[in-house]
Amino acid sequence: MAKKDSDSEHDAPHGGHEDHGGDSTAAVTDDVRLPGAARVAQIAGGVGVVGVLATIGLGVSAGDDLRSFSFAYLTAYVYGLSIALGALVWVTLQHLFAARWSVVVRRVGELFAASTPVMALLALPILVPVLMGNHQLYEWVDHAAVEKDHILHHKHAYLNETFFAVRLVVYFVFWAWLGRYWLTKSVEQDRTKAKGLHAKLYGVSAPSMIALALTLSFAAIDLIMSLDARWFSTIFGVYYFSGAVVAWHSLFALVLFWLQGQGKLVKSVSVHHFHDIGKMMFAFTVFWAYIAFSQYMLIWYANVPEETVWYQERTNGPWQNVAWFLVVGHFVVPFLFLLSRHVKRNRAGLKLGAVWLLFVHWVDMFWLVKPSLGRHGELHGLPIGVMDVTAVVGVLGMLLAAAAWNARDKNLIPLEDERLAKSLAFTNS
Amino acid sequence: MAAVAQPGATTVVQQSAGGNPWAGPPEGENVFGMITQNVSRLTEAKPPRAWYVAFAIALALLTMFGLSLAYLFYTGIGVWGNMVPVAWCFDIVNFVFWVGIGHAGTLISAILYLLRQDWRTAINRAAEAMTIFAVVCAAIFPGIHIGRPWLPYWMFPIPNQMGMWPQFRSPLEWDVFAVGTYATVSLLFWYMGMIPDFATFRDRSTTKIRRIAYGIVAMGWRGSSRQWHRYERAYLLLAALATPLVLSVHSVVSFDFATSQLPGWHTTIFPPYFVAGAIFGGFAMVVTLLVPARQFFGLKYIITLRHIELMTKVILGTGMLVGYAYGMEFFIAWYSGSLYEGFTFINRLFGPYAWAYWTMIFCNVVAPQIFWSRKMRRNVWVAFAVGVIVNVGMWFERFVIIGTSLARDFLPSSWGYYVPTPTDYTTLGGSFGLFFTLFLLFCRYLPTVAMAEVKAIMPEAHVQHGHGGAH
Amino acid sequence: MAAHRPEGPPKLLGVVAEYETPTALVHAAEKVRDAGFQHWDTYTPFPIHGIDPAMGIRPTRLPWIVLCAGLTGLTTAALLQWWTNAVDYPWVISGKPFLSIPASVPVYFELTVLFSALTALGAMIVINGLPEPHHPLDLKERFGRATDDRFFLYIQARDPKFDESATRALLESTHPEDLDDVMEDQSSPAGLPRPLVIGLAALVCAAIVPFVLFVQARQTMTDQPRIHMVPDMDFQLKYKTQKASAFFADGRTVRPQEPATIAVGQLDEDEHLHHGRVEGEYARTFPSALPVDEAAMKRGQTQYDIFCAPCHGLSGAGDGIVSRRAQDKEQSMWVPPTNLTQGYLRRMPVGQMYELIGKGVRNMPAYGPQISIEDRWRIVLYVRALQRAGNATIEDVPAAERGGLN
Repeated sequence: MAKKDSDSEHDAPHGGHEDHGGDSTAAVTDDVRLPGAARVAQIAGGVGVVGVLATIGLGVSAGDDLRSFSFAYLTAYVYGLSIALGALVWVTLQHLFAARWSVVVRRVGELFAASTPVMALLALPILVPVLMGNHQLYEWVDHAAVEKDHILHHKHAYLNETFFAVRLVVYFVFWAWLGRYWLTKSVEQDRTKAKGLHAKLYGVSAPSMIALALTLSFAAIDLIMSLDARWFSTIFGVYYFSGAVVAWHSLFALVLFWLQGQGKLVKSVSVHHFHDIGKMMFAFTVFWAYIAFSQYMLIWYANVPEETVWYQERTNGPWQNVAWFLVVGHFVVPFLFLLSRHVKRNRAGLKLGAVWLLFVHWVDMFWLVKPSLGRHGELHGLPIGVMDVTAVVGVLGMLLAAAAWNARDKNLIPLEDERLAKSLAFTNS
Repeated sequence: MAAVAQPGATTVVQQSAGGNPWAGPPEGENVFGMITQNVSRLTEAKPPRAWYVAFAIALALLTMFGLSLAYLFYTGIGVWGNMVPVAWCFDIVNFVFWVGIGHAGTLISAILYLLRQDWRTAINRAAEAMTIFAVVCAAIFPGIHIGRPWLPYWMFPIPNQMGMWPQFRSPLEWDVFAVGTYATVSLLFWYMGMIPDFATFRDRSTTKIRRIAYGIVAMGWRGSSRQWHRYERAYLLLAALATPLVLSVHSVVSFDFATSQLPGWHTTIFPPYFVAGAIFGGFAMVVTLLVPARQFFGLKYIITLRHIELMTKVILGTGMLVGYAYGMEFFIAWYSGSLYEGFTFINRLFGPYAWAYWTMIFCNVVAPQIFWSRKMRRNVWVAFAVGVIVNVGMWFERFVIIGTSLARDFLPSSWGYYVPTPTDYTTLGGSFGLFFTLFLLFCRYLPTVAMAEVKAIMPEAHVQHGHGGAH
Repeated sequence: MAAHRPEGPPKLLGVVAEYETPTALVHAAEKVRDAGFQHWDTYTPFPIHGIDPAMGIRPTRLPWIVLCAGLTGLTTAALLQWWTNAVDYPWVISGKPFLSIPASVPVYFELTVLFSALTALGAMIVINGLPEPHHPLDLKERFGRATDDRFFLYIQARDPKFDESATRALLESTHPEDLDDVMEDQSSPAGLPRPLVIGLAALVCAAIVPFVLFVQARQTMTDQPRIHMVPDMDFQLKYKTQKASAFFADGRTVRPQEPATIAVGQLDEDEHLHHGRVEGEYARTFPSALPVDEAAMKRGQTQYDIFCAPCHGLSGAGDGIVSRRAQDKEQSMWVPPTNLTQGYLRRMPVGQMYELIGKGVRNMPAYGPQISIEDRWRIVLYVRALQRAGNATIEDVPAAERGGLN
């Protein structure tokens, strides 16, 4: 759920909203252009490319048939993808709920939502080895194993290299189209000053949201859940979704703070907007905990061997500490910290919370992906190394570069949206 | 909030109210007075004939409920169709169904409040009342399902002569705490919201008995701003507490099933899936109740088409979430490669209970699709009909989950087919009698709409800055 | 505008002004606030957005009280589940630990919310000074509209800044609809109305009655048979083993064995193996049909741990968990199980021990129907091993392993 004001567009006699600044017209006095965006894109992109290439270089030179590379890279990749998808979900929900508070910050979301093509590009280091038959990452690529294992054989109709690639292509075509659609339509309105666009986007948002929910869930199943091809959990897509929303709002807050540091959006984006973003971070931290607990509880309690084994791997040995770290770091600490209204309305407080949540979300992805590295029992100690750092730098750098590149010739605020005045006058208690 | 007809709108055509003292446009000096009058007259004037007819039907059903329970207590649970392997069916189905219905009220009150959805004020009181009554209906079933109504105190942690304590590692024990807490908090929330409205009734009362009765429950509320300040803070806190509580209740109910190892029950998506289903069914019940209420009880000036439309959108949205869960369960049943999981779902589709399964799919997934059309969303009787259909569908959802999974045990030698007895049906039907009786009494004696909250979101309630007083 | 009423005794409590719109009220409130008044309030049918700063109302401490209540609830839930399930009544359920954190989470959460919610409402009522049966403004007929559609501002005379004419003038300047004095209420009785008090007291007394009855029932003995709530469950239509039967001619429920037949597995012609005797005396050796070896010992241990250990204890010392629980509960009727490793049992022939297991002795029921003949012998074998272990000396330990003992 996202915050929304009632979609009052539908009935004429409506009144009574918190914001009663309806009489004021859009009066954005801020600098809404980011001329340095291309430069930012070049720097971030440069760092990103170096990061990705360094990871690949380290991975190839490790001489383990890309095994350690694949897991390190996948961790960083699903991390970056979750942020991009979080942005896409967020923008779609703002349209679906006809939200008014968020109009002033929506463009920044759109810039990130339109950056999924770069995630498609970044998928190649995973996809290419799979298509070449490298089964270090996904055991279902190993034809000899599939022949011998009844379960893997059963799943072969779904878990095979061709269908895997086809699905990824379908997901990315849809995501790229949707992100591009939100951004283009919104930018177009800046130019044409057309009225009533939001009604049209509202219509598109409902079916898009359904498709988005399905593609996101199946992407999580394909990329992460199939690492342990015998394991299954129906809630898994929701789990990935909840983390994605947390991570996106955290990055969102940081990007807005950075923009304000650059002297952009200083007056239009107020503490009230940050407070709302903080509330979403808080709410989805709790939601993540709820989903994570539900999954754990049901598997722990029923104790069915083929399900429990997944948690067995993730709550024993070195992973036990990681699991406890997630309980405390991904729930207890941010819950207590963000519970306070003052923290959410304080720049330093919210910044700290956002950085922390981005970090623990990475730990969460690490904890989902890497224990599968030890499925043949050769794992001693936490498998963390230089590649994990370079991969995250690479993926995040490329993601930020794509968003900045999108921003280079656009306003940072949808200036012609009719609801902008409401958004500017938005107050939050 | 769409309006009670605006002050200047005296052009409203006097509709022929057919002698219904509850209908007709409200009167008052200003928009606040009109709201007061519109809501208060339901408790002040004699009810229309429709109310009496409805109440008579509800009482008849309630009597049937009482007789069914008496028969049950006297004879034992053999009067139901329960058998091995389906050792519980209608009792638990009805429990989950009613608890689910009981979710919309607190959702509307709490979550929509936190999300700043002002439109909730027109419907939240009725929805909260519905929540309480649904939870009352739900709470009856765990109390009677062993046919020994003097034993349920075993569920509570009371020191007793047996030297035993309840088992906190059992999901059924969590249910006791979850449903108990939910009932209590919903009641507090409901009562707290009504305090200012009781004060309004007290101050309008013309008879001594009304003055005393409403005076006691209003506790001397006079609308002091210093009191409003604390009141609003407490209300916000209750909303913030009730929001995760709503999620927890049906999650805990889902644990009753999902912690087991039974195929069709044991699946990790159950908690959010049950919550979505509960909101879905709850909203459908709100629409089912409020469409006739606004039509016959003259509330259409406050509960407008826009409210109906927004509720239908929520129904459509949560219906899609439920559809997602159905789909994901199917996919994973195949994907898991587990023979039993796979069979369970094939069995739902084509087995002996296929009729129930397809009824559920039609009611919950197909029927709400009509709400993609704006025209259908704004047709109150279509909304009402779909509301009824969804309620049927949500009952069948629980029946499908519980009945089909139990009837096909791991061993084919233990298979069975559950056939409900007439007492099963009269108990289910009778519980509706209890629900409607309570709801009709609520319409007659309590503030059906949260007057203070509706007033607070009117445009006239906002303070104009920059110029002086009103005159 | 009502005139000032000079009729003696009733004291002037303050002045009240009435406004038609929230805007007018808020502007008036700002003036009163700026004039430095302390004891004053406004009365409105709904909470007005922005009145708090206009009146200078400071944020309430309610959230902190609720936070404390929530933590109390959490602690209560933690202690309750720990005490009942891990300490006072430990019982293994589906292989879960006594104190299962994941299984405790739902109740942690629910009680936290329950305590917080009850406190939120309760604290709101208490801090607001409710219930408040009487108020001086109740005497004003117009004031009834404070819960309907009008807005009131009331300044109390006890405020140090209050000056009758100056305060009136201040309020006049805010253009009220109506301005009036508030006089002391001399007609209404103080405190709660009498019928209400009596009613409440009666209710409280009535609420105690069931508990008194419970306590009385727990304290009294009766020689009446207990009430049968469910007669067809208490007196079921079935035959029990030793009950008379009206159906069979001999009146017995249990049917005797057909003459000249032996049920499968009930042939017992080996006196040593089946009856534990050799030529009428208890056997002092194990039957030759059963090999005495490592496998037999292991089997005996398994069976002992299942059937005997709950009472006699894993080491045979008579300290099984059933016995320990009975002693914890101070059950006066409880006869502790025999210590198998001491006393006469060490000298008892194996044949006699075999017979006791099968037929029972004193409190101990017969295990013949549950444990096979061979396993009974193996249990005897294992008990012999326990007796040896329970009376072992350092010489019994192999020399090589004595170093590991202290």
